[in-house]
Amino acid sequence: MPSTSLALTPGLGSFLKSLKTHPVDTSIENLISLLKRRQIRHSRSCATATAYLLRHVVSVCKTSDPAKLIERVQSVGRRLMAAQPREMVVGNVVRRVLGLIRDEAEDDREAEFTLSEAGSESQPQTPRAFDDASLPLDRDALSLRAEGAERSSSRPTLQSMFSLLSHPDADHSLPSTPGTQSPNGRIPGHGPSSKDVKAEVLEGIGEIIDELGQVDDQIASYALEHIHSNEIILTHTSSTTVQKFLVKAASKRKFTVIHAESFPNNHEATHATVSGNSSGDDEHLSFESFQKPLIALGITVILIPDSAVFALMSRVNKVILGTHSVLANGGLVAAAGTRVIARAAKVHQTPVVVVSGVYKLSPVYPFDFDSLIEYGDASKVLPYEDGDLVDQIDVQNPIYDYVPAELVDLYITNLGGHAPSYLYRIVSDHYRKEDISF
Amino acid sequence: MATTTERTAAASSKSFDIVATYNELLRSDPDLTMPIAAIEALVLVLTHSPSSTISETLDLLEKSTAHLKKSIPNPIGLSAGTDLFQRYLITTLQRPGQLGPAGDFKAIRTHLLSNGRLFIRRAKESREKIAAFGRGFIRDGCTVLTNGGSRAVASLLQKAADEEGGPSAVRFRVIYVLSSISKNIEEPSGEPEGMETVRTLRAKGVPVSTIPESAVAYALGKADMVIVGAEGVVENGGIVSRMGTYQIGLLAKAIGKPFYVVAESHKFVRLYPLGQYDLPIEQRVVEFRSEDDIAEQGKQESSVDANGDKPIELPLSDSVDFTPPHLISALITDSGVLTPSAVSEELIKIWF
Repeated sequence: MPSTSLALTPGLGSFLKSLKTHPVDTSIENLISLLKRRQIRHSRSCATATAYLLRHVVSVCKTSDPAKLIERVQSVGRRLMAAQPREMVVGNVVRRVLGLIRDEAEDDREAEFTLSEAGSESQPQTPRAFDDASLPLDRDALSLRAEGAERSSSRPTLQSMFSLLSHPDADHSLPSTPGTQSPNGRIPGHGPSSKDVKAEVLEGIGEIIDELGQVDDQIASYALEHIHSNEIILTHTSSTTVQKFLVKAASKRKFTVIHAESFPNNHEATHATVSGNSSGDDEHLSFESFQKPLIALGITVILIPDSAVFALMSRVNKVILGTHSVLANGGLVAAAGTRVIARAAKVHQTPVVVVSGVYKLSPVYPFDFDSLIEYGDASKVLPYEDGDLVDQIDVQNPIYDYVPAELVDLYITNLGGHAPSYLYRIVSDHYRKEDISF
Repeated sequence: MATTTERTAAASSKSFDIVATYNELLRSDPDLTMPIAAIEALVLVLTHSPSSTISETLDLLEKSTAHLKKSIPNPIGLSAGTDLFQRYLITTLQRPGQLGPAGDFKAIRTHLLSNGRLFIRRAKESREKIAAFGRGFIRDGCTVLTNGGSRAVASLLQKAADEEGGPSAVRFRVIYVLSSISKNIEEPSGEPEGMETVRTLRAKGVPVSTIPESAVAYALGKADMVIVGAEGVVENGGIVSRMGTYQIGLLAKAIGKPFYVVAESHKFVRLYPLGQYDLPIEQRVVEFRSEDDIAEQGKQESSVDANGDKPIELPLSDSVDFTPPHLISALITDSGVLTPSAVSEELIKIWF
């Protein structure tokens, strides 16, 4: 956190600047080491860096054959994920880019099917050639999403339950295997349209980057539906998403915010957020043009130590939490202390609302919760000046908590509010099955 | 038209007994699940009847399915198979393409008739797929509690046990809950369901402990997770499974252990039970009797024996219960790890 001179310290800003001048491989190495050294942290910074890097990778990729593009992105993605496996947004962005390439490759192929429908004898199942042919026309972010929904509702019909009975040939002609099995040999390296694939993919990555920039504002637009006058809201950490959400509500309503300080990993940033004395040191805050603090908008903000959460919970109307990443089962990995708050809220039957961009939603099923928890600097708990004690005591400072799905009542993403049990649906809209474990 | 189809259906059912075929299929291959056996039986019905029009075929299927369901005491599992078969036929016929209305009806018929073996193979492969998905759940040093004779669970545990390379294999332990009711009616003292799996696991070097159903609550403290199989997965994400699964689910929830269900996606069945006694089967698990009733029943049994119209009861050893979705942490299926609420969507996708 304490990086005093932003221009000199390596971080997101310097990485994005270097992207233009450095060759791709250097940039990849650069990002890997930044991730490893934790010089880029915070979900959004990681996601943004990954998206920009992948855009660069795709744009300098010499081939425009979708299969080769997928291979390239996969290999880069694997290295990035290996560099920092707990930063799940990196994998999420890589998966979305892979999905983009696959979608483009399929659209392309389907367009050709419509043209050469006469030759469909070797293709017993070309159902979507008809209804999807119009889709490549419009490509703004919304239609992409709708398309995703439409696709995933039509595609797995062939894949999932019917796959047991489907025709043996039909299996191979499923569009999910790009490039490898083309009965008439028309997919790999087919003339002019293949150029479009790359352009479309680059455009799609641009949309992901735009989404990363707008996500907090989109989430904040739901604030007035959830925060009502004279409510008491409890929150935790200095999450920008939560702050924007509250600020948006404060523009119309008067309410009280109780802010737990999240010692020892985030308390300084939290104090700064509450008082509005942000020195702009924090990367993810400087990333945005920092807004007026809540107190400037006439909101009563009460800063409490984490230990007082349970005692105050009985007065709280709603708990609003930020998160590090959201998992496919509806559970979440968030700053340490979140679970205590969520559990206290459960005991008092206080609704828990989690605000998170869709990019934090990971398709990975958490087999092993413990492995998701990252441990941080022990000196924040017990400074090294207490040398004698440090030798004798095992000090641990977990940075994250795993919060099970049943402790969360509502997720608010940039797409709206969802129940935890509905998240699987958003996962299947945003990620392709083939990419979940690549 | 209707009369002719009825006649052909009647004729074919006379010459071809679907119930016997179904039972024979299940007996001949212990690895076969009920839905797949039902699909196989329907394929054989189609082979034996020379129906050539679409409506004739659908009519025949419907009649055979109804007959089969009526004659089997627990039709939940098999109805998943027959529904899937029917939906596949209808959906394929409605879809444009070679197998659709524009194309040849015979093509889809021949495909279904000639690929019976293929379906069975795929069904078995789906178990392998599940094992691959489920591998992530079993980690070094963990203890798994399981019950029943589910083949999917057995293959998952075996897969975890014999990851190649000996020492790199997962070191895990298994607590196997054995039913006190023997599966074999002729031999009541015979070994309970699941002993086969216990032996295989032990042979692979996995420490297995077998406990009676009454010791589940006691043993759960030592287990890290519960993995069970299912006979059918219903629309709300709950499961119909071997008697005793529900109580394990309740206990796991109470103790806070994850409860996973392993099931192939062809076991998803369109059924929405609201509780234990809402299943479309007749099983006499809870039966109140006084001394008089017992005497009465003894008299009845000696007098009337073959009563055709009465619904067939499920023997106690095959009784099932319903585990509601809120007790289930996740379903491990061949289409990935699903939350219970995702099941209804999979079903809706094939029905609407």
